[in-house]
Amino acid sequence: MKKPTFSGRISRRDFLKLAGAGLLASGGVSLMNRLVSGFLLPESIALAQAAIPDKVFAGTDGWIYLPPLPTPSPFHPDDLSPDPALFTTYVFGFRDVTGQDETQILNQKMKAQHSAPMFWLQEGVEFKLQLRNLGLQMRPDLTDAHTVHFHGFKNAIPFFDGEPSSSVSVPMNRSFTYVYRPHDPGTYMFHCHVEDVEHVQMGMTGLVFVRPAQDGNTGLYPSGKFVFNDGDGSTGFDREFGMHLSEMWVDSHWADSHIQLPEWSDYKPDFSMINGRVYPDTIAPNGQGYDANGDLIAPAGHPRLQYQPISSLVECNAGERVLLRFTNLGFMQASMTLDGIQLHVVGKDATFLRGNDGTDISYLTNTITIGAGESFDAIFTAPPHSGGVGPDTYLLYNRNFVRSHSVGGFGDGKQMTEVRVHPSGTLPAQTEPNT
Amino acid sequence: MHKHSLLKSQKLAVLLMLALLMAIMPFGNQSVAIAQGPQSDGMVCTSGPNFNLTSHTGYVGTPDGNVVYMWGLSSGADPFQYPGPVLCVTEGDTVTVILHNTLNRDISLIFPGQENVLADGQPDGPVFSAGNLVSLAKAAPANGGSVTYSFVASRPGTFLYQSGTDPAIQVPMGLFGAIVVRPAMGPSFMYNRADTAFDPNREYISLLSEIDPILSQRMESGLPFNSRNYHPRYWMINGRGFPDTIAPNHASWLPGQPYGSLTLLEPWEATLNPLPAAIRYLSVGSIDYPFHPHGNNVRIVGRDGMPLEGAALENLAYDKYSIPVGPGQTWDSLFSWHDPEAYNSTANPVPVTFPNIFDMFFGPMFSGSPYLGEQGTIPVGTTSQNQCGEFYHIAHNHALYQITSWGVVMTGMATYTRIDPAGGCP
Repeated sequence: MKKPTFSGRISRRDFLKLAGAGLLASGGVSLMNRLVSGFLLPESIALAQAAIPDKVFAGTDGWIYLPPLPTPSPFHPDDLSPDPALFTTYVFGFRDVTGQDETQILNQKMKAQHSAPMFWLQEGVEFKLQLRNLGLQMRPDLTDAHTVHFHGFKNAIPFFDGEPSSSVSVPMNRSFTYVYRPHDPGTYMFHCHVEDVEHVQMGMTGLVFVRPAQDGNTGLYPSGKFVFNDGDGSTGFDREFGMHLSEMWVDSHWADSHIQLPEWSDYKPDFSMINGRVYPDTIAPNGQGYDANGDLIAPAGHPRLQYQPISSLVECNAGERVLLRFTNLGFMQASMTLDGIQLHVVGKDATFLRGNDGTDISYLTNTITIGAGESFDAIFTAPPHSGGVGPDTYLLYNRNFVRSHSVGGFGDGKQMTEVRVHPSGTLPAQTEPNT
Repeated sequence: MHKHSLLKSQKLAVLLMLALLMAIMPFGNQSVAIAQGPQSDGMVCTSGPNFNLTSHTGYVGTPDGNVVYMWGLSSGADPFQYPGPVLCVTEGDTVTVILHNTLNRDISLIFPGQENVLADGQPDGPVFSAGNLVSLAKAAPANGGSVTYSFVASRPGTFLYQSGTDPAIQVPMGLFGAIVVRPAMGPSFMYNRADTAFDPNREYISLLSEIDPILSQRMESGLPFNSRNYHPRYWMINGRGFPDTIAPNHASWLPGQPYGSLTLLEPWEATLNPLPAAIRYLSVGSIDYPFHPHGNNVRIVGRDGMPLEGAALENLAYDKYSIPVGPGQTWDSLFSWHDPEAYNSTANPVPVTFPNIFDMFFGPMFSGSPYLGEQGTIPVGTTSQNQCGEFYHIAHNHALYQITSWGVVMTGMATYTRIDPAGGCP
């Protein structure tokens, strides 16, 4: 057989080549055991089972775009950028390479994205996430491993937790499959836990959520979509949007590309972002998948956002219930305000806001203060349309405006996005989050 | 990137060995333990209700190898320590704290959350001189003065005590500690509610603080300090930065930092191990610390000495995976680890191939096996401190620049939870 080029053990891709699709359903497991026996330690043979991941992430470095700072900085834009007209900031990040072939996957080195791809699981349904470490092209001196830490996952075993001191991490050109059996619906986040202050700040962070078993019950709410197993439809929603908050301290990104070390206790972010972008890029459309080389296709009309593919634009019809899933993997508190519309906070940290005896402790607010590593689930009901031309626009923003900067008008470069409310019945039902 | 890793790994190795040794020692009876006892893990109570606290100057070791001048409060004749002792009393006690001041400046104590505090028998409160506020409480004069505070501990819960004189300087310099008021219901409850019961052998405290070494240097040199320049570089749990946090209580090489914060658990089990651990989080820092224990959520049952209950005693406790411990706040939590999958190597292996060991980096606390109570092959040359296949989960501040120590990463405000197989390591 072909010697695996990237790993001492057999990969999913090799397995697919060797086994063929027909064997997956029937004889895949025994064939897998036979094929891999030469690679495994004796005591592991009996345990070896086929692991076909539901999702494959690649960890690597790359470049993203952030707007010019109000005053010149030696760190921004980064002078090592491969194309200063397009990209300004060196990052580490994850890419979703599920379904890509080996050549495509290896092409993604130095094509990281920020924030990481959003993904979701179904309560009670096992989920396998394979992580491949493609290495860091800008840093040939650096041999960092990567991991995925599913932040907030209850009762994790260390093997699947991703904290490198108590578990294993994934060296360059190796892969590892994490298995999750989610029992608790709600909003979580994930990040690499290796050299955590660096890898998190460099961009290896994203949002993940678990859908409740109650989903599909159209008797409780017409859409059949819920945040939690509420039993009464109170967390039902029509549309959902992940709002993953992160920060960039450009000094530390410049330091990483220039083989320098920042002094982390001087941490002071220059940019605070939603889904990896600052306003008005936040309202640009989503990316358009990947091309024949496996590379990301930039959002239409926004070549600079090729590696920041997640839109934060909230579009909805009047009267609909809209769920905002907030997560924060910056290092600072963010106070997210939605002007003109009340938010009903129904969940925090993937916990339904009912006391342990079921007492309702959800609440209404228009500002949610989100600490590092916290999540909030907030539902609003889109107000009636004003009757004017086009949608009504509301702003969702971090009221701490001094935490993010850019040249341009007020709002440019801020941790901000727009909520656009259309007349009832204008938009079709939502098929995917953040669309 | 891997810098400073030699210092870090050597220190970690030593500490892990001690943590392992400590974990096999029998638990002390923590609910009535006295300061300086042999108890190696868990909250060390200094029992009251009458306390003598003396201020001292001393030095604190930081994870980067630095030694920082600090002030501290110690019980009785104890030498300098940081932070001050945990004062344990029972609801209804009349608590007396006699503060003896050896520093060359006036100091005082305030007791946030306590009402009707007396100082030398008179109602205490802000002290004014010629119209200027000079202290938040009556002070013990410099160079040998003393003052006696007293109050009735009317409510159970977790509280702070801290300096009320020049607190922008004196609190970050170390003049603070914790008060635990046990409920009338008994010492194995956090509040007077049956649903706040915990295992009295698993009671922990995490008092979070920060240090600006320039402030310390200025104080040691007898120089003034402009608090506008305050800039913490070290972040601590119970006065230590990781990896010192997982060293035992009273570790001999940390003479001024007697309190560890390693949490020890065994898997929850309905009959044999039904009770959670208690962890009391407090902060004397300057900003919120978003504290994140891996492994499981904590259950928040109290805040600032108030049980989370409704007017009709509804149970309003809730679960959380990040605890934003704000300045001056206290959060009372229950913590356990469950094993819903019950993975084991014989009957219920993890549904994924265990990779070749050379295709993974092994952390020093990893057992080499996914399974609780089992150990696997460790690559030759890899350090392993795992004793019997026990699990470790980190618990850390998620403002990740605060798990560094003036340039040394993966240190500071972080500790671990150790989960032993049922019955402990053989």
